[in-house]
Amino acid sequence: MTNAEQKMRVKAPARFPWFESFLEGWSIFKQNLLGKIGLSLLVMFALMAICSYIPPLINPMYNPMTGVDPDILGCTGPSWKHWLGTDFMGRDILSQLLAGARVAFMVGVSAAVMSVALGTAVGMTAGYMGKFADTVLMRLADMIMVMPTLLVVLLLAAVFGQLNIWTIVLIIALFRWPGVSRIIRGQTLTLKQRPFVEAAKVAGASHMRIIFRHIMPNVLPLAFLFMTFRVTSAIITEAALAFLGFGDPGTVSWGMMLQWVWKTGNMFQAPYWLLPPGICISLITLSFYMLGRAMDEVLDPRLRKEDQTD
Amino acid sequence: MPLLNVKNLTVGYNTKHGSLKAVDGVNFTLEEGESLGFVGESGCGKTTMGMALMGLLPPNGSVREGQIIFEDKDLLEMSPEQIRRVRWRKIAMIFQAAMNALNPVQRVGGQVAEAMLVHDDSLGEEEAMVKVEELFDLVGIPRDRMIDYPHQYSGGMKQRAVIAMALACQPKLIIADEPTTALDVIVQDQILEEMKQLQKEFNLSIIFISHDISIVADMCHDIGVMYAGQLVEYGPREAVFESPVHPYTKALLSSFPTLTGEKTDLVPIPGETPNLVTPPAGCRFCDRCTQPGTTCKTEPPEWVAISGEHKALCCRC
Amino acid sequence: MNPKSNQIVRIEDVRKVYKAKGSFFGARKKDVVALDGVSLTIPRGEIFGLVGESGSGKTTLGRLLIGLEETNSGKLFLDEEEVTHLRGKELKRFRRKVQMIFQDPYQSLNPQRSVFDTVSEPLKIHKLGLGSDKYEKVRQALQAVGLAPPDDYLHRYPHRLSGGQRQRVAIARAMILNPEFVIADEPTSMLDASISAQIFNILLKMRTDFDVTMLFITHSLAAARYLCDRIAVIYRGNLMEIGPGEEVIGNPMHPYTKALLDAIPKFGQKEVMKRYGTLLSREREDANGSGCAFFSRCKVADEGQCSMTKPVLNERSKGHLAACFF
Repeated sequence: MTNAEQKMRVKAPARFPWFESFLEGWSIFKQNLLGKIGLSLLVMFALMAICSYIPPLINPMYNPMTGVDPDILGCTGPSWKHWLGTDFMGRDILSQLLAGARVAFMVGVSAAVMSVALGTAVGMTAGYMGKFADTVLMRLADMIMVMPTLLVVLLLAAVFGQLNIWTIVLIIALFRWPGVSRIIRGQTLTLKQRPFVEAAKVAGASHMRIIFRHIMPNVLPLAFLFMTFRVTSAIITEAALAFLGFGDPGTVSWGMMLQWVWKTGNMFQAPYWLLPPGICISLITLSFYMLGRAMDEVLDPRLRKEDQTD
Repeated sequence: MPLLNVKNLTVGYNTKHGSLKAVDGVNFTLEEGESLGFVGESGCGKTTMGMALMGLLPPNGSVREGQIIFEDKDLLEMSPEQIRRVRWRKIAMIFQAAMNALNPVQRVGGQVAEAMLVHDDSLGEEEAMVKVEELFDLVGIPRDRMIDYPHQYSGGMKQRAVIAMALACQPKLIIADEPTTALDVIVQDQILEEMKQLQKEFNLSIIFISHDISIVADMCHDIGVMYAGQLVEYGPREAVFESPVHPYTKALLSSFPTLTGEKTDLVPIPGETPNLVTPPAGCRFCDRCTQPGTTCKTEPPEWVAISGEHKALCCRC
Repeated sequence: MNPKSNQIVRIEDVRKVYKAKGSFFGARKKDVVALDGVSLTIPRGEIFGLVGESGSGKTTLGRLLIGLEETNSGKLFLDEEEVTHLRGKELKRFRRKVQMIFQDPYQSLNPQRSVFDTVSEPLKIHKLGLGSDKYEKVRQALQAVGLAPPDDYLHRYPHRLSGGQRQRVAIARAMILNPEFVIADEPTSMLDASISAQIFNILLKMRTDFDVTMLFITHSLAAARYLCDRIAVIYRGNLMEIGPGEEVIGNPMHPYTKALLDAIPKFGQKEVMKRYGTLLSREREDANGSGCAFFSRCKVADEGQCSMTKPVLNERSKGHLAACFF
């Protein structure tokens, strides 16, 4: 850049509106008890997930899938070597629990991101284009929404045998986008009428430009909100599938753990094995839910404030 | 003895940016049967003042100082129960965009009746409906429209219904905050005429708040001009209109286009209204004044009597 | 009348109807006729005022001209080229020549985009100006609307601007492509009087600085008088009167115009105004669909003629027309 050009450019401020809104939202969030509890729990689980890599490094016998303690052959209770005890194959339960946290996050977040991305794309398209495209897409959404996810996955598993964890994630995403798309479509319809979108049209903006530069940025906050709720349902779905025996046998998840407890008839004999995964599933679901509720409060008044005139 | 005597009224809000005084030291009196208008632009505090008079400030607002003496009693000293008895029965308010405040799922006649029933325990439902019929006649809504819902009413009719609600308990004072802003010019004219007639008929006192100085002058005998929370000029309408003294009043008058007379350039007022969280030490209009004096920036201005009731808050006048 | 080469905008017998969506259960609501055969021409360099109350169709006409909505019948011409139903490249070319300033400054700017983003968008869309060029052009536009120094405003976001400032940004955006024709749809109805005055003066300045023709849509006759060379009064989709500004206001020919003038609060007018008294206090019951749109409220109407036939605009004096039999 020449000197003259450099002088022409003005340094943009470090803050953008979404950053400022983020800070503002954070201060509202901080006051919400539910949100704080939810967030702390999630941080705890995240730490668990990160720590899941540690046990196998300490000693191969701690590997959740393949680790076998040479001294132990079956189910044992908590001890100094195995803080939560071992399962029927002699594998360490705690490391399984930590690995489960990792899987829960992976599955939950991936499925949520995918379903929200898909739902947002479909919702925006349907809302913006209206007429035929809108009708077709929304009828498709309706049909999918009505289908019971679990049943279909079970059918698929029955037909194709055991499913890979990522296949499960994909299927969950494919079944969950309709709900998101309805809301995003509604929001798009509202935005489409707003004067600033009309102004862009009047300036000659193409449809693509309007969707990506004007509608999408204003729709994303809502989409993000949705993601938190989607994570919950994804985790539960995966757990349910694993519990019923249709999960990925190569992956240790909490649902898988519950299945093992059940299958090997240790449900009442080994509470140290049964309780941890069950509690974890409940807690992580609860914490995402609390987070979602708190975010709702953050986003709602702000959305309202944007709409008000001075 | 005046009907309403407001002394040194100061109303503040606590906002996330800090505490501000939306109304700062306003004084005025109102006799029975008279009308007083307050003019100002957005942010001048006129709506806040109206709400304070009714005791309807939002949770983050409060009266910091002053007295509102109505019929010889200070409203600010009253208990909530006493205020409830005064509100609507003695003082009624027509809010800004009041027509949007009508309950969309309740029949209009019923809503007006409710206004009466809530404030008068002795009134029976049947009696109330009879009174509603009389009110509708008064404000010019056909009786057979009583059973309709608000969405079936035109803008003008909704506003008339709102006026009927305000008159329901036969108050002595009506505070009307921009009652005709959302209406077309012809309907506005009709409503204003009707309000003038009602005023004469019931010897009502009216406080009329608006941003449009010609409407206020049309309706009210006296005008108060507000700027940045303060009353800056006050007097009979002829005086304020024909010989305005305060620079803001002069500037405000010359920023409205007119229908007659020479087409002079509209002179806009440069700059912006002051930040009320940190108001300037001297005159609040100083930055935008075309003829600031030497002390205007540092010393707060004093009231200067022009003639009779006409006075202005200005150092240089 | 006016020589053709001078016309920049010509509207020919335009009709716009909003169809009522019949509900399954309820009775079919009537279609709303927003514009009922409106014709007018605007010569180059003029500021033309379109005055009407709500429901008059003035906003609809603006939206038809700018291409946000389509006519049901009739033609629109820009520079003698028909622009009634444009698509694709032609539409884009049209968009460079015609721009709009919207009513609500709080909604017409994208809250997520800075002033620079918003004002430079038309340049980006039409691929005008490279890199640093854009900055300069935006600066000039901001300077022209009185947002100075421009660098202070370039990176601000709408929520940090007052209503008046936002409207100036909207004007800058509209003017940056140097359009031939600008439609201002009630640009000051949401602003205070002193701010409105600023905007009026900016619009006048735009006319001289950019040599642009304007259509000023408003409900205020006084504002129209101040800004406009000619004024048209529209009521329920029909033009009632057209003429030079001072003429229409000082010597109105149509009962509706007279009723509007009567209704404006007189206090503060520099001279005493005549009272015309053409408005009925209660609407006539017997009005049917055909005939003059103003019949049901007109005091001087003739029951026979006015209720059956729609009067056309006829010339009363040079350039001053009214659609009335009297």
